[in-house]
Amino acid sequence: MRSILVVIMAVAIGACGGEGQQATQAAASTTGLKVYRHAMDQAPSTLDPVQASNVYANHVVVNAYDTLFSYKYLARPYALKPNLAVEMPEISDDELTYTIRIKQGVRFIDDPAFPDGKGRELIAEDFIYSIKRQFDPSQLPVGTWFWIERIVGLDAWKEAGSDYSIEVEGFRALDDYTIRIQLKRPYPQLLDTLTTGYSAIVPREAVEYYGKEFASHPVGSGPFKVIEYDTAKILFERNEHYRQEPVDIWYEGYDPETQAYTGVEVIHGRSPPFIDRLEIDFIGEDAARWSSFTKGNEVQYTVLPNEQVDQVLASKNPVTFKPEYAEKYHGYDVVEFGFVFNAFNMDHAEFGYREDPVENHRNKLLRCALIKAWDWPARSESFYFGLAKIYPGIIPPAVPEFDPDMSRDSVTRDVVEARRLLKEGGWTAENLPVFIFGGAAGIKNRLFFEQARSWFKEVGYPMEKMKLKQFATFGDLSKAWRNSELMYVSKGWGLDYPDAENTLQLFYGPNKTPGSNDANYLNPEYDALYEKSSVMRSSPERTRIYREMNQMIVDDCVAHTGLSRTRIFMWHKDVIALPDRQIVGGFFLKYVDLKTEDTIVEQIN
Amino acid sequence: METLQYIIRKLITGIPLLLGVTFISFMLMVYFGPDKTYELLGKNATQEQIDEIRHQLGYDQPFFIRYADYLKELVTLDFGHSDSTGEPVSGLLGRTMPISLALIIPGFVLGNLIAIILALTAAYHRGSWVDRLIMGFSVVGMSISFLIVIIAFQILLSSSYGLNLFPVRGWNMSTFGNYLSYVTVPTLATVFVSLGYNTRFYRAVIVEEMTRDHVRTARAFGVPPARLFYKNILKNCMIPIITRVIFSIPLVVISGSLLIESYFGIPGVGKVTFDAITTGDQPVLKAVVGMTAVLFVMAQLVTDILYRAVDPRVTLK
Repeated sequence: MRSILVVIMAVAIGACGGEGQQATQAAASTTGLKVYRHAMDQAPSTLDPVQASNVYANHVVVNAYDTLFSYKYLARPYALKPNLAVEMPEISDDELTYTIRIKQGVRFIDDPAFPDGKGRELIAEDFIYSIKRQFDPSQLPVGTWFWIERIVGLDAWKEAGSDYSIEVEGFRALDDYTIRIQLKRPYPQLLDTLTTGYSAIVPREAVEYYGKEFASHPVGSGPFKVIEYDTAKILFERNEHYRQEPVDIWYEGYDPETQAYTGVEVIHGRSPPFIDRLEIDFIGEDAARWSSFTKGNEVQYTVLPNEQVDQVLASKNPVTFKPEYAEKYHGYDVVEFGFVFNAFNMDHAEFGYREDPVENHRNKLLRCALIKAWDWPARSESFYFGLAKIYPGIIPPAVPEFDPDMSRDSVTRDVVEARRLLKEGGWTAENLPVFIFGGAAGIKNRLFFEQARSWFKEVGYPMEKMKLKQFATFGDLSKAWRNSELMYVSKGWGLDYPDAENTLQLFYGPNKTPGSNDANYLNPEYDALYEKSSVMRSSPERTRIYREMNQMIVDDCVAHTGLSRTRIFMWHKDVIALPDRQIVGGFFLKYVDLKTEDTIVEQIN
Repeated sequence: METLQYIIRKLITGIPLLLGVTFISFMLMVYFGPDKTYELLGKNATQEQIDEIRHQLGYDQPFFIRYADYLKELVTLDFGHSDSTGEPVSGLLGRTMPISLALIIPGFVLGNLIAIILALTAAYHRGSWVDRLIMGFSVVGMSISFLIVIIAFQILLSSSYGLNLFPVRGWNMSTFGNYLSYVTVPTLATVFVSLGYNTRFYRAVIVEEMTRDHVRTARAFGVPPARLFYKNILKNCMIPIITRVIFSIPLVVISGSLLIESYFGIPGVGKVTFDAITTGDQPVLKAVVGMTAVLFVMAQLVTDILYRAVDPRVTLK
């Protein structure tokens, strides 16, 4: 038996050394192909732009398809730039009409969906069709909320049956290369929405040709084309017909002081994409992802897993790698474009609104007491290795409207004050309500709950009155949120665009459940300010209003908030890139290059 | 002729079983399973959008109409398209099941064969240090979580922290060499874990058989140990062994091995099934449940026929 095993091992190892393990690299070296292997912690469930609701889907969609606008590769804070658009749009003085010209000669990839299998030219009507899909229920759209009640005639078009042969008054292609969008009211974030996967441009022929299978069969005009897709990975090939547009790294926001180490200077003046093949591996398990990353010839990028932080980092503030890791890998840390928060559901009488003003005030005191009992630094230390940013309110540090000078009282634990507030409200162990936490099934949520329970116990909340309700899947949890079944909602929110409006709408009254206002917060003053600011472009006045709204959330003790996680990106030193997964994840992938002997010589010179 | 009649009779009696299994599982899916509607909602949804999605998914149809559609799908083997990826379900399973089979079969076969050999050895040396060693190894195999075994084998054999001999992730069957390189570590992990359970089970069966009168008699007649074990013991143990092996097959075919597939980046049916369960992808779930029930009916049939083959006393009536 032993000898049989030895023989099997020997054959397998021989095979492995010969071709198996080195398949990708062998391909690269023998055929001269440049292959970059990226890693993501989750697989996209669909590749159809109409449902590209998360960063995983966007990683694929923005590389297989074109969007009118994009974010500059290297500029931080993020800055918009034209992508398929020729230039930034002409905007009327009243900010209601946008005229966008698109590039000529852009072609969809060759595909059987087209006559003779040859990709045709992308025209303005394709964009119109693609956005109209978001208003066609048969397409199961997910991004409708970006444009609902914004564009003249589009909602009526949907109500009339989503007939694509009918023109929409405020949403037209003036000719093959010109788009006109007429808004009902100014929408300063419109261009941001046109960078997202939801707005990616699809050819109608392909949607009709593939039907439901279009969700796994992308036909776009982006820098890459999908050649293989399954639950473990997606494989792209360079779109050989992708338009030639040399990169100007200075226009893209290159900062030599902070970004020179990435080596991105070598892409200056060259047209992307620079790699022949892009492989994205979907690796949900941190241990497997880390093993693959450190192996050397598999995935070349990862987000540093939490359990490796102590192993890899020499210091946390600032983040530095131990020499053995610094020698092999590039990396940088970034505060996420989003935040985690826990909101009281104001629809539930236990903590929320009460008709009786006295009871209503008591509930507010209870919420405020529980906020004072919360220990954000301990949460960061326990679950985010002390790397998270903690701040008051719902405007995260990643957006320009963040107020670094805001009072930190709401995120500073004060047990004495918490007890005082409970006493002032007449709350005792006997009359405190049963507090039900909700979360998806899993150890982490259980630990979150137990930690919070220990904090609340310290201020006098009886242990037996705090319970955890677990949901088998995220879908079940989402259903409970949408139906306002939970008295306390723990949630993470990733920003869709770099504007605090995206988080402030989380507490806008009309967005109450099943909308994104899971707290069912209703404050006419807040709503009025939101409506006023929602039509304003970025300005000191708008920032002032945003901050005023933020203060209202804090003053009304609506939520335990907020914390933004710090992510540490790591990549092999032979990769020339500045990886990013924020906002529209994956838009950097078309700029990735790999070091070859030529580029190394070029860098030395 | 007797066998053919038996097969036809069994297939007919399998129909109520299929109906029962599909009905109960479909009811659980509809009323207690994850609701795909909420997976497909945008961040800022309205009640109108929820209703639209439910309509598109057919969730607003009466239960029995949906169940009748399910039965029709089962008969025609056309389960429609996945609610997540849009792929035809038949194509999805057709693509992933062979991968799972190629992944699991070596471990399954080796795990059973080696376990039988170890069980025979342990039983032969019952009470000695050899027996205790094998049983101790079995307990270790049973006690360590499969997850830990996978991670340990991956680190030991595939990662730069270990021997770095095999790929951490991927799947390639273009050549036999590639196949071996990708399947070796998952197979070793599978064998390690399955040996524990299998060896203990098979040893118990063999030991019980060893105490039978006919074995004692054969021994008294001076039958050599090898012949005794093969002819008088192993052959008579085949009924529980066949039962265990055959009834494991449907699970191997349909479920694959989720953990193995996830950790080694192998696009098999296990991950597809898991995703369908957690997201409420009913077309895939319906296919998986239906196919599992069919395979169990088939397994029962094959088992009965094999019983007859290994034990002539068994009749197919």
